Amino acid sequence: MIRTGLLAIAALACLQGAALGQMHGKHASEAACEEPTLRCATKATPAFGPDGTLWLVWMAGGQVSVASSQDEGRSFSTPTQVTTKRLNLDWGPDARPKIVVDRKGGIALAFSTFRDEAFNGQVFTTRSADGGKSFAELKPITASNESQRFEALALDQDGTVFAAWLDKRNRIFAKEAGQKYEGAGLFFTSSSDGGTTYADAKLAREGTCECCRLGLAFAASGRPVAIFRNIFEGGVRDHAVMTFTDVATPGEVRRVSNDDWQINACPHHGPSLTVAPNGTYHVAWYTNGKARKGLFYAHSRDEGRTFSSPMALGRPDRNPTRPFVLAGAAGTVMVWKEFDGEKTSVQMTISRDDGETWSPPKTISSTTDTSDHPLLVSNGKQTYLSWMTKADGYRLKAIEDQP
Amino acid sequence: MRFRFVGIAGLVVLIASVAALAASPALKPFERGTWQSVLRGHAGRPVLVHFWGVTCGPCKVELPLLGQFAKDHPDVDVVTVSADLVPNLPAATQSMLDKAGLSSTENFIFNDGFVERLRFEIDPAWQGDIPRTMLISREGTVTTIEGSAEIADLEKWSAQQRSKH
Repeated sequence: MIRTGLLAIAALACLQGAALGQMHGKHASEAACEEPTLRCATKATPAFGPDGTLWLVWMAGGQVSVASSQDEGRSFSTPTQVTTKRLNLDWGPDARPKIVVDRKGGIALAFSTFRDEAFNGQVFTTRSADGGKSFAELKPITASNESQRFEALALDQDGTVFAAWLDKRNRIFAKEAGQKYEGAGLFFTSSSDGGTTYADAKLAREGTCECCRLGLAFAASGRPVAIFRNIFEGGVRDHAVMTFTDVATPGEVRRVSNDDWQINACPHHGPSLTVAPNGTYHVAWYTNGKARKGLFYAHSRDEGRTFSSPMALGRPDRNPTRPFVLAGAAGTVMVWKEFDGEKTSVQMTISRDDGETWSPPKTISSTTDTSDHPLLVSNGKQTYLSWMTKADGYRLKAIEDQP
Repeated sequence: MRFRFVGIAGLVVLIASVAALAASPALKPFERGTWQSVLRGHAGRPVLVHFWGVTCGPCKVELPLLGQFAKDHPDVDVVTVSADLVPNLPAATQSMLDKAGLSSTENFIFNDGFVERLRFEIDPAWQGDIPRTMLISREGTVTTIEGSAEIADLEKWSAQQRSKH
């Protein structure tokens, strides 16, 4: 009897050990493998250079690397490692490394890490002046030691790099004054030397949602525009755009739509923005508000003062997520993910009349395991889907002209 | 004699270690099918399932309040699920649960890299926002609270559950 009891106890202890051991098992990871190679990446971000070279920055194995492709992503150059050691990279659902490639071929990067055990973030930047062969030592984007996350980069025609991010530096002052501090501040800076040095950080807007990616573009030369999940009166986390007067001066906060999503939570699901050559703002976002739920698209032809009625995207029974919109030569393209219980697909729709009408959505890619957000990238002539998947690796797929 | 002593000492050590595990149960992996087994395991009892994550600001504020609620309401089965995306952090998760007074509740941690599939099993409409609380009545009726729950609402729900029995 005692023997049986002992065995049972020993078996129980083993089961406990097995359960803990499983937590570190491979199947539990978002990554296919743990090396810094592209195959192991969880997030990959593309940009075309002026000569048509595709550049890709990715995070894998705690490192950030860059490589280029001359054959539409079928093969890549030997990667250049941007980081010199394994870092605690921000692995939040909406975090990813950012890249812009200027007209001279200079490459500016930005990404965030968790700087402490409380998951406060820090944004780093670096630049390559030798065509991606080497990158400068990482520099914090700001001297502040408070939390920064969700950086975004955009490149102006004159080569100015504009950066925006979410920053909690004013939390401490609110606390000292006994005031409630909600969300984070939208901060920004710019670099006139291609991302080597950045100006002092400035506040654009306090009280924005702290855990969603930003959308960033240029409305016209010298005039950046950002879309972000704002916190409106009563804790309503709806979207807003801000068109900056210039790269050093913020503009007004203009509401995209009145979704009425009052929630004290981290949606982990940020918006997307592109500006067409004629100045139309195209935006896509997720909400779970009282007024509407799901993914939506709208456009503005007056710099965000007014927006068209929100248009729903995707099949509600397939959990549409992660919208991305890009105005390209052949039209304005939108992609998003849907999930049918077993596999994730990327849905695509295209508008050839500046957002007035859209083609029926079409599945352009799918995978049976976890995947990065679907992104769009253009070389000026052709728009591509850029999608990192765990099961099938990295994919670059031309968006066909005919829907 | 000597053998017997060793045997008893070994037994004592094993019982003590199992008792320690019982007092502070390890985080359980939440995988495919776990959601259905949680529902089955608590069928017929009022259950509060709380989804949260270590990187979520509002969760940090809510968790200790939930710890107090669990202590005050032994009649409600409280289950927590850390629903942060992997790489998940068992040590940080356990530490926050301990500090919030939730060491002895049934605590899970997402343990599948295909997080969309896990969430789809729980609620096809859930896109991953946390905190999120699901209140399951004795009859199996699910009430979902998106964002931080008001403790007063939890009190009201728990009183309703008691009044039905």
